[in-house]
Amino acid sequence: MMSEKSASRGQFERWLIPVLILAFCIAAFYVSTTFKKMPPILKRGIQPSDFPQLLLAAITLMTLAMLWVDPIRIRDRLQGTVWGTLALFAGFAALTAVDLFLALGVFALALTVLWGERRPVILWLVGLVVPLAVFFLFDQVFEIRFPRGLLTNLWYG
Amino acid sequence: MEGLVSGLIVLGDPYLLMLLVVATLGGVVIGALPGLNATTGAALLLPFTLTMDPVPAIAILTAIYCSATFAGAITAILINTPGTAASATTCLDGYPLAQRGEAGRALGMAVVASTFGGIFSVICLMLAAPLLARAAYNFSPPEYFALTLFGLSMLASIGDGSPLKNLIAGGFGIFFALVGVDNLTTVERFTFGSYELYDGISFVPVLIGLFGISELLVQASNLHVQREAVSMKAIKLPSMADYRKTWRAILRSSGIGTFIGILPAEGATVASMIGYNEARRWSKTPQEFGKGAIEGVAGSEAANNSATGGAMVPTLALGIPGSATAAVILAGLMVHGLRPGPTMFTEQAEFAYAIFWSMMLVNVLFFAVGLSGAKLFAHVARIPVQVLWPCVFVFSIVGAYALDQSMFDVWVALVSGVLGFFMRRYGFSVVPLAIGLILGGMLEQRLGQSMVMLNEQWWLMFTRPLTLLFFVLTALALFGPSLWRVAKRQRHPMMSSGE
Repeated sequence: MMSEKSASRGQFERWLIPVLILAFCIAAFYVSTTFKKMPPILKRGIQPSDFPQLLLAAITLMTLAMLWVDPIRIRDRLQGTVWGTLALFAGFAALTAVDLFLALGVFALALTVLWGERRPVILWLVGLVVPLAVFFLFDQVFEIRFPRGLLTNLWYG
Repeated sequence: MEGLVSGLIVLGDPYLLMLLVVATLGGVVIGALPGLNATTGAALLLPFTLTMDPVPAIAILTAIYCSATFAGAITAILINTPGTAASATTCLDGYPLAQRGEAGRALGMAVVASTFGGIFSVICLMLAAPLLARAAYNFSPPEYFALTLFGLSMLASIGDGSPLKNLIAGGFGIFFALVGVDNLTTVERFTFGSYELYDGISFVPVLIGLFGISELLVQASNLHVQREAVSMKAIKLPSMADYRKTWRAILRSSGIGTFIGILPAEGATVASMIGYNEARRWSKTPQEFGKGAIEGVAGSEAANNSATGGAMVPTLALGIPGSATAAVILAGLMVHGLRPGPTMFTEQAEFAYAIFWSMMLVNVLFFAVGLSGAKLFAHVARIPVQVLWPCVFVFSIVGAYALDQSMFDVWVALVSGVLGFFMRRYGFSVVPLAIGLILGGMLEQRLGQSMVMLNEQWWLMFTRPLTLLFFVLTALALFGPSLWRVAKRQRHPMMSSGE
């Protein structure tokens, strides 16, 4: 059985998502009113703001209908590993400022550990061998130039 | 006819043949891995194909599509975990068969039924796509607008979300397609002065995020799931008795799967469910279904593989994806500068037929791969998620970057991944968002062209018979199921009240 606390959180999320969607639609609609209006000879059928406004109105109507016809239902709460993975995403984003491949290696290693792997061979494989293999595959075979950083500078010189 | 032959000649290239063999093996591995499926595989491999010529690039993606759809049956039968959603119904009878020591028989039937369904649908594709393209050749912008709208309305029933939520997700997909400079008027929209948004949001990083990175987060919530494997001595071709019992189900499901595949946005998952249900409905022993009926495996597998060829019909002939994976293939076609639609069969006939022949070959290849390597691929399914998903992440990020060598695309992939995860958590499917993003620009462009053509009198669209037909079909797709439920409730009020 759902506890009282989770039930109230479910109620909160039931309303939160539609409210977020509606807020987005209102904000986007407002932005669309600032689009340049074309003179009749240049407008090519519709004004640049017409279609986005029509679409946002449709999304708004469907969201309002969803509130009653098909509300959001939450079956379970997010697990710790999901929050941990999301935190690692943030860490990855921050570390890309230093080096993309350093960030990828650290993320892969940390994720493997977070998800319960402890064997050193596997950790080396995922944290070092895989990012290196992917780097050389794209650099040598597909001739993709990666952004310069602490580690990639060692290769690019 | 000329295109048919020249397409076959293109396939004689040893480099292309080698790529197809590798892609088929790769597709089987992808399909056998729980969590990865044809759509994710195609989205992740799309950046790898950017440096290739269009024929090998698209042939690889279609090879992944066909072989991964088949391979979902391997894990469905051996570990009761469908490698792809389209194989979920294969579990119902495949796993009970495996539990009673008949895993080899079930896999043999899955291989034969999948191969038959796949080849059947490619033949239908070869016949139907040029005909459909010829019919669509004289479409004007209003017809195209109504047809695209119909394709989008079919999103209501796609994926794992509810109809209304699917439509909202599709609406957001269309909205994101409007970001950037308006093609018709060159006015900037929703760019907020950002140079990166000037050309709009690239759909490749969004697809990688929605299908690859969001699945990583889903896997993070399923780490506790234990999978029990059933051992298998060897895969066996079906016996004559099995063929006698299942040929009708295979034929029927191949037809159903191809038809469902042709419907815009409907893919292998819906096809396999209907194929399985029809196999049970027409069976002489329906009570055996769910307990290890070989017809169940045949019905489900023939239907899901035949949907692959069917889904390519609207994708190539009309530029409207027949399934989620077909949407990724459509994105691949666009990235390579090809314009799917009626002109493809006149201006790029050699290309179109080369793709058809490569799909045919892949169906034969996975028959050989499935028979000889199913036992090996079953081991692939046991790769720990702790190893698999960090590697998928590395490929996802590098793939997103590789498209335009832009870090902005990496952020787009990451944000799309997180967005996709929360969408799925709250009951919205990510497939409509992806298809809306791909078709959104086209929809607006065709509306604008229609308005120019009709002197801004939009109501004149309803005076055009074909346009009206597509509008009626759109209304039926949107409101038909609800009206049907209401009508049914009025006919059986006792049943609806639960008494």
